[in-house]
Amino acid sequence: MRASLAALLLLCVGVLAPGSAWAQRLVLWHAYRGDEQRALEGAVEAWRRAAHPGVTVEVLAMPFESYASKLESAIPHGNGPDLFIDAHERVTSYRARGLLAPVASLGEAEYTARFDDTAVRAFSSDGSLWAVPLSVKCVALYLNPALVHGEVRSLADLEALRSSLPRDSYPLVYEASSAYFHAAFAHAFGSGYLDERGRYLFVGDGAERSVARVLAMLDARTIPEEASGTLVSQLFLTGHAAAAISGPWLAAELGDRVRFTVQPLPTVPEAEGRSLEPFATVEGALLSAHAREPALARVLARALGEVPAAVTRARVGRQVVATREAWERSPELARDPVLSAFRRASMGARPMPTHARMRAAWEPARMALAKALRRDGTVRAALDEGARRFADVTRPLPRRRDGTLALLAVGAAALGLCLSALRRARDPDYRIALRRSASAYLWVGHAALAVGLLVVTPVVIGAATSLYATESGRSYYVGLANYVDILIARGGPLLATGSFYRVLLVTCLWTAVNITLHLALGVSLALLLSRPALRMKAMYRVLLILPWAVPSYVTALAWKGMFHRQFGAMNALLVALGGEPISWFARFSTAFAANVATNAWLGFPFMMVVTIGALAGIPRDLYEAASVDGATSWQQFWKITVPMLRPSLGPAVALGTIWTFNQFNVVFLVSGGEPDGETEILVSEAYRWAFTRQAQYGYAAAYSVLIFGLLALATRRRGSAR
Amino acid sequence: MAALTLRGVRKVLGENTILRGIDLRIEDGEFAVLVGPSGCGKSTLLRTVAGLEEPDGGSVALGDRDVTRAAPRDRDIAMVFQSYALYPHLTVRDNLAFGLRLRQVDEAAIAARVAEVSKTLDIAHLLDRLPKEMSGGQRQRVAMGRAIARRPSVFLFDEPLSNLDAALRAQVRVEIKKLHQSLGATMLYVTHDQVEAMTLADRLVVLNAGRVEQQGPPLEVYRRPVSRFVAAFLGSPSMNFLPAKIASDGRVEGDGVSLAYDAARYPALKPGDPVEVGLRPHDVSPASDGRVTLEVEVMEPMGFEAYAHGTVGAQGFVARLDGSAALPRPGERLALHADAGSVLLFHPETGRALDAAEPAA
Repeated sequence: MRASLAALLLLCVGVLAPGSAWAQRLVLWHAYRGDEQRALEGAVEAWRRAAHPGVTVEVLAMPFESYASKLESAIPHGNGPDLFIDAHERVTSYRARGLLAPVASLGEAEYTARFDDTAVRAFSSDGSLWAVPLSVKCVALYLNPALVHGEVRSLADLEALRSSLPRDSYPLVYEASSAYFHAAFAHAFGSGYLDERGRYLFVGDGAERSVARVLAMLDARTIPEEASGTLVSQLFLTGHAAAAISGPWLAAELGDRVRFTVQPLPTVPEAEGRSLEPFATVEGALLSAHAREPALARVLARALGEVPAAVTRARVGRQVVATREAWERSPELARDPVLSAFRRASMGARPMPTHARMRAAWEPARMALAKALRRDGTVRAALDEGARRFADVTRPLPRRRDGTLALLAVGAAALGLCLSALRRARDPDYRIALRRSASAYLWVGHAALAVGLLVVTPVVIGAATSLYATESGRSYYVGLANYVDILIARGGPLLATGSFYRVLLVTCLWTAVNITLHLALGVSLALLLSRPALRMKAMYRVLLILPWAVPSYVTALAWKGMFHRQFGAMNALLVALGGEPISWFARFSTAFAANVATNAWLGFPFMMVVTIGALAGIPRDLYEAASVDGATSWQQFWKITVPMLRPSLGPAVALGTIWTFNQFNVVFLVSGGEPDGETEILVSEAYRWAFTRQAQYGYAAAYSVLIFGLLALATRRRGSAR
Repeated sequence: MAALTLRGVRKVLGENTILRGIDLRIEDGEFAVLVGPSGCGKSTLLRTVAGLEEPDGGSVALGDRDVTRAAPRDRDIAMVFQSYALYPHLTVRDNLAFGLRLRQVDEAAIAARVAEVSKTLDIAHLLDRLPKEMSGGQRQRVAMGRAIARRPSVFLFDEPLSNLDAALRAQVRVEIKKLHQSLGATMLYVTHDQVEAMTLADRLVVLNAGRVEQQGPPLEVYRRPVSRFVAAFLGSPSMNFLPAKIASDGRVEGDGVSLAYDAARYPALKPGDPVEVGLRPHDVSPASDGRVTLEVEVMEPMGFEAYAHGTVGAQGFVARLDGSAALPRPGERLALHADAGSVLLFHPETGRALDAAEPAA
């Protein structure tokens, strides 16, 4: 009896509590996983227990991939968090959208002094501190003490190891063709990717010297070629690398499996002895401008930067925390060799630029670096091309235009349609016809509605998007400017790399080569399978249809693996046959061939199946008549089989043309446009404009409309030719 | 032009022996018709001559040339298919020219030949049509034209008329005969229709279960069949058969039948021998003293003639009557007479003719 009364009381409290003034609730979003997630949750819980027992804190782990877009859509609608954890690079974009409230004024020198300078710098702008700095992530130098004896202060010390190491081992491994890792070299030589005002920096003397320095290391076999993240950890783990440049994640991967030490990156003698200066990413607790409990959220944010929370995050989450006092007050942290080494490294690191244009700088920088490192032309030419590419992508958006005229035109057209419909509806004949077919309309009504909603509406919206430009998430009407821009190749040479016409040429070549191969393979296999003498036909048929049954992206990834320079089956085969391994994606011809091979594999089963069906429909006595008439097998093929297949293969080729013309998966996943975007086709190019180049959705939509127009025209001509 | 010689041609398909040793010689310019019921191997034999099937034994020779293993295109033959097998994607003109083009005859000669053939067959107005735009009869002509255009030494026809209606069939039959007369080519023609066989053939070859049952001029085969099989196959309606015994006075006697026969033709028969009497429906006529008693069940008046269906003894029997005379009614008994010369006698078990037969092939 007493127990149930107590339970009732508790229930009342539970129901009333959220609404009552003293029971406050905070929502915190983050994208951490594993140890970091546990550390954050522990720190929050500790804060709540110690200081705010009445507060409920909902700590939500969001998926990393869509984190920013979720925040951008949720916060303005009031569904977002009160505070959230994110990297400093995104602050500019969030601020442009009005999502953030500052956590402190830069005038509070006493407060900002609690954090490492790099971290504070990363979050400072316009006189405010926009987040409580939590941790800094950057790369550092891992050393294998079994291979490195003595101190490593400069790159020269590492290069000196070359003579003492076996040929299949390297003094240093790192992802040399990654723009993120190369930043350390660029900074050491006084270059970079972007300045505060959004100007592109990876060009000119310093940038050239930084690339030349890396080329020198490649020549001396100080570093391996085409190193991927996997290769770096593999070489270091197996003792085939004396040193590696990598981030904290490598330490987690190595664990106890190999002995290693960590230290800040070395100096570069050729850069007047400056140190390699890597990018730093600073994570902080940010406040939502639409927080329901702004004051309390600020208290929690600040608390996450205090010593107890920082120590928890460092110990449990293995974070290089930005709180100075934590390192001073916790001897455990100070003694941790890996964490303290990363902290020292972070002090010499440069926060990643926060300018919104940084997103547009990565692709040109990566392509320029890759081109220079594979010695495609001079370094200067490669870097200049990168600068042009950046200028191209960040060219001023088209002017805002008055949409009244267009709106009037659309309105007039709609009115005209309505009027003509009205006039027709008054025609008695038409009304009778309509009444007769009313039930038919009823039957197809739901289908028409579904198609309208699922197909027509998105297409119309997509097409309308092409008349707009987008800046910081806001769109405005620009008329046909996007189309004009595309069709004049953005003012550059008509056949320059990345111009519409060049990509169109590549797409046409791609389509023609593929369809030819699909037909040749599909028809020859169908002919083989249709031979009456063949045994186990059903099994072969199933095996040959299999490529078609596997999802195309799975196939594409499998083929990409086969074309890998170091581990791919293709190069293994070449080497086994006595050839030299090929960098498949370094040249247009080989990269294109790799794409074509993949797509030929994907596409021939369709043609084969169509052909098998069509062959079954050719009467046998035609062949007999032809052979009596004097035709050889070859003549029978060309004079009977081919003409008889034509009616069935015509539509199949039209369909195949459309599919291949728009074969995004293969191009995107196999070559990814390499080298330098030359193997890009129209759809993948449209994708890049929308999703890797400043989110130019309008421009991408205009591309799509043009693709649609081209295909409609091509298939119409084919149709009327018949 | 050439003679066609087959020696011991055998063909086995799986477990079925289709041809059991065919010996046949068709002279240069002869029109031979292969006839027999479905499954007797006549089409297979034709295809073997064409080279579309390879024999499992024996040889095929055109003139002096052994072509047993030669490809169809090396045989100098042309074939008209039952389905016509016109190339559906080619116009009539191109269908006609197909074989000539393959043999790289020059275009002017081809045009002349096409014009000539289309005039002969009266298809000049169809030259630019596709096969699907023509009637069955027109397609049939084009199929023949395609064969003629090549001027081969031997023509093969595989039931070319079976897809035509009866009226058209009669007309085309005559045309084929004319064609043979004007071309003078060796022709081998397969049919299951005994009217076609009788009307077209210079030499009739009756096939039964993979063997040549009888061959010779059609009328001779018709009049002197070597077996009950041949006798029954040729003639429409089919021959009547009645079991009987040889009586002592040069007659055969059976249930409902008593007839005189040509004893000189059947010297080996002794009184009391069981026989099977063969009587063609056309060889009986009503006569008050007739000794064949037909119980009429159904009458089929055809106009100028009529068929009386009924039984003689326990056997089914058909008699042809004059259509202009008064016809018996069902249930009536009809007394029939037949000349001794038209009475054929067969062995009741083997079915062989009992006269001093020509050696069976």
